[in-house]
Amino acid sequence: MNFPLALTGLFWLGAILLSLGLARRAALWRQGRAAQVAWSGLFAIPKRYFVDLHHVVARDPFIARAHVAVAGGAVAVLALAAANYGLMLYLPALDVLMLLAAGLMFAGAMLVRSRRKSPPARLSKGAWNRLPRSLTLFAIGAGLAALLAISGDALGSAARLLALLALAGLTLGGAELALGIGLGGPMKHAVAGLLHLAFHPRQERFSGNKRSTDLKPLDLDSNEFGVEKPADFAWNRLLSFDACVQCGKCEAACPAYAAGQPLNPKKLIQDMVTGLASGDGQGYAGNPHPGQALRGGDAQQPILGGLLAEDTLWACTTCRACVQECPMLIEHVDTVVSLRRHVTLTRGTVPNKGAEALANLRDTDTVGGYPLAARYHWAVDLNVPVLLPGEHADWLLLAGEGAFDMRYQRALRALVQVLKAANLKVAVLGEAEPDCGDLARRLGDEATFQQLAGKMMSTLRHYSFDHIVTPDPHLFHCLANEYPALGGNYRIQHHSQLIAELLAKQQIPLRADAETSTITYHDPCYLGRYNGEIDAPRQVFKGIGIKVVEMERSGMKSRCCGWGGGASFTDIPGERRIPDMRMDDIRATGASQVAVACPNCTAMLEGVVGERAEVVELAELVAARLAKA
Amino acid sequence: MSIQNLKVAVLLAPATHPVSGRPCAAAADSAALALALKLVPSPQHLLVLYAGDADDAALGPYLAQGVSCINVLPTLAGAEISRVLARQLQDVDLVLCGRRAGGGQGSAMLPYLLAEELEAPLLPDALQLQVGNGQVEVEQYLPKGQRRQLAAALPAVVSVHERASAPLPYAHARLLQGQIRHLSPVSLQPGVVHLEPASRRARPLVAASRASGHERMLGAIATDGAKAGGVVVKQGDPVEKAQVLLTYLRDHHLVDF
Ligand code: SF4
Ligand code: SF4
Repeated sequence: MNFPLALTGLFWLGAILLSLGLARRAALWRQGRAAQVAWSGLFAIPKRYFVDLHHVVARDPFIARAHVAVAGGAVAVLALAAANYGLMLYLPALDVLMLLAAGLMFAGAMLVRSRRKSPPARLSKGAWNRLPRSLTLFAIGAGLAALLAISGDALGSAARLLALLALAGLTLGGAELALGIGLGGPMKHAVAGLLHLAFHPRQERFSGNKRSTDLKPLDLDSNEFGVEKPADFAWNRLLSFDACVQCGKCEAACPAYAAGQPLNPKKLIQDMVTGLASGDGQGYAGNPHPGQALRGGDAQQPILGGLLAEDTLWACTTCRACVQECPMLIEHVDTVVSLRRHVTLTRGTVPNKGAEALANLRDTDTVGGYPLAARYHWAVDLNVPVLLPGEHADWLLLAGEGAFDMRYQRALRALVQVLKAANLKVAVLGEAEPDCGDLARRLGDEATFQQLAGKMMSTLRHYSFDHIVTPDPHLFHCLANEYPALGGNYRIQHHSQLIAELLAKQQIPLRADAETSTITYHDPCYLGRYNGEIDAPRQVFKGIGIKVVEMERSGMKSRCCGWGGGASFTDIPGERRIPDMRMDDIRATGASQVAVACPNCTAMLEGVVGERAEVVELAELVAARLAKA
Repeated sequence: MSIQNLKVAVLLAPATHPVSGRPCAAAADSAALALALKLVPSPQHLLVLYAGDADDAALGPYLAQGVSCINVLPTLAGAEISRVLARQLQDVDLVLCGRRAGGGQGSAMLPYLLAEELEAPLLPDALQLQVGNGQVEVEQYLPKGQRRQLAAALPAVVSVHERASAPLPYAHARLLQGQIRHLSPVSLQPGVVHLEPASRRARPLVAASRASGHERMLGAIATDGAKAGGVVVKQGDPVEKAQVLLTYLRDHHLVDF
């Protein structure tokens, strides 16, 4: 037997199997709807892999190194094999390189193996446990093959045995690589992952520093009502689900999962994979949605009821902790909201207080069903002018729904005090201010969102102002990131950003004798992860002489308070409450006060019973340190 | 007549939202719709009527709640709505409507006038409803948690209490699919409607007890010094304490599990 020729044969066999497998999987993706992506994305893969994806993976240096070694080694081996054996060059120099690459891959495979010895609970087992073995076999096979080729006849009769071993290793290990995509094995992630980088549904994620966190509008007039069955997803969304490596980083970050609510974001993505491949879902070997059995699905059958329980969908707080952590850049929140949209728009069965809140928004433009005229009652003695059409204000303050909450009214009053102390010309809209539509949108009620957004934009058109300031990160996110797609562009700042600027310019007169104190700070998801703003609040604290002890999960890794996405309205039961867990995080710092910068975080944390840290709003802290006028 | 070819009609009218004053679905009318939808195999089998001149948009909430087609009867100025409606309801077996208007132009008199016009029995304030053997059975709402069973031969008019059903889910897609059909104006002898302000004399409230609020609260809640209405549970672990609460709630029929 001619050994190099056997290698050539093996290489081409693998290549053919891989191509057939890819065609098979691509047929599943193509069940999905058309998507607007450019093929040129394919050329961007290397940059996106080495910059964007590696940026996330590198947060876990061990696995990052292991992956670089295994994947880098494997790609090098394959490339060299393609050249040397696929194209039948048979150059000894390439064999030497192949030996080195195989060695690298072997080292990486050993690292992966050691991680699998006592794997963290978030990792999936099952087929994934066999992966280090397959990789090791392939590396050994490739190494032996290279060695044989280099040594020529020097090995004599042992060569025959070694050749057989090499071929066995390459065949067994290579099968994992070649068949993975076609049979849906673990190595599917390599092919699907790379293609996902090329055809990512949010291409803007890769362009510079721009965050891409806005939900995309539905065209309701052409009957776009979200996703009912797997085949309703765009094809590149289906592809994105296949990229998942079941690392469980999302699971470990998910507040709903930690609270024992029936949602595990990793399983959610795997459910979509089961659906797109019309499988029975029994092969899944990771943690389930708490309290839920494994279910099968079909690409043409409704997802809810079959594949997924409705409670799973409504437990999500849209906090984006999962998206933040996912090394494969999968968009869980888009998935959740697409499914919610279909339920809300075609059936309206939003659980618990969700439906009532939506009805209130439709009927009164407020979440709580309040009269609009009451929105600024808290400001009655503060002399804040209500802006009239034709007048001008430098700063327009939008208070949002927090204005109806008696606790948060204290914060709003403090904010007005601070802005006045800084001599800003601030005005409000009074009863002309509708809701921004955030809650409606997260609950999937795109129709009500678009109505409210339209109302807000046409209202704002009537007034003349330079900037908008709001203490509500949800309102901030809507106006800053989601209204532009509907044609509204505003200069808007979160109050923490404005106060930080004013402090930097020393425009806020502070008491000289203010006591220094220590607090901890809870980052709101919609300010931090949605807008990347984790510095401004901290600058404010620094500027007023307050020291912040950070929680373990803070900044971009902050844990949700449990309100987001309407989760406090849909109120899916779990074993714990999310705000209670967050209060435990706060307790762990030992701080006696926790600063918040969002009306909803305020309400959730104030709702925690028992001994706990005092909840204070950022503006209240500043107001307490104002110099007496 | 079998339940399959039962002809059911629902009368709906837009209400005025108590906070914003915007048109919205009336709670009682929605409840009537909810009961009617349970009687028919699909929404297409319902005859849904509205008599009045509200905007089509004001009827939208009912479409979103699951009506496939609302038939609008324009009324000539002053025409009596009950007569306009009765004309369309001649061969209907069961007419459902809300027991009271949610503001707007509706009136709680309608069920009575309509029943009179149709010469059919009226079963007011229904919470539940069953049809069989040519008759309709109704569980009627009475104050203070009391209920009464009523039955009448079909055809009949049933006015439905707003508590008969939880609010129907609102779905935008159904709003887009639903139709509003305008029937040709009905010419009838115009009756004369007199609008006059309701007169209501203030009735002084008589307190049931002369004790102060604080005293009455003390009488109602448990204290250690016995003599009050409750029990203080200090012994036992939280589960046992919860059990006492649960037993209390069950004894008073406040929970049923
Ligand atoms: S979705 Fe992302 S973070 Fe979650 S398991 Fe899959 S790859 Fe890991
Ligand atoms: S957005 Fe937050 S709550 Fe929703 S799945 Fe992701 S981590 Fe969990």
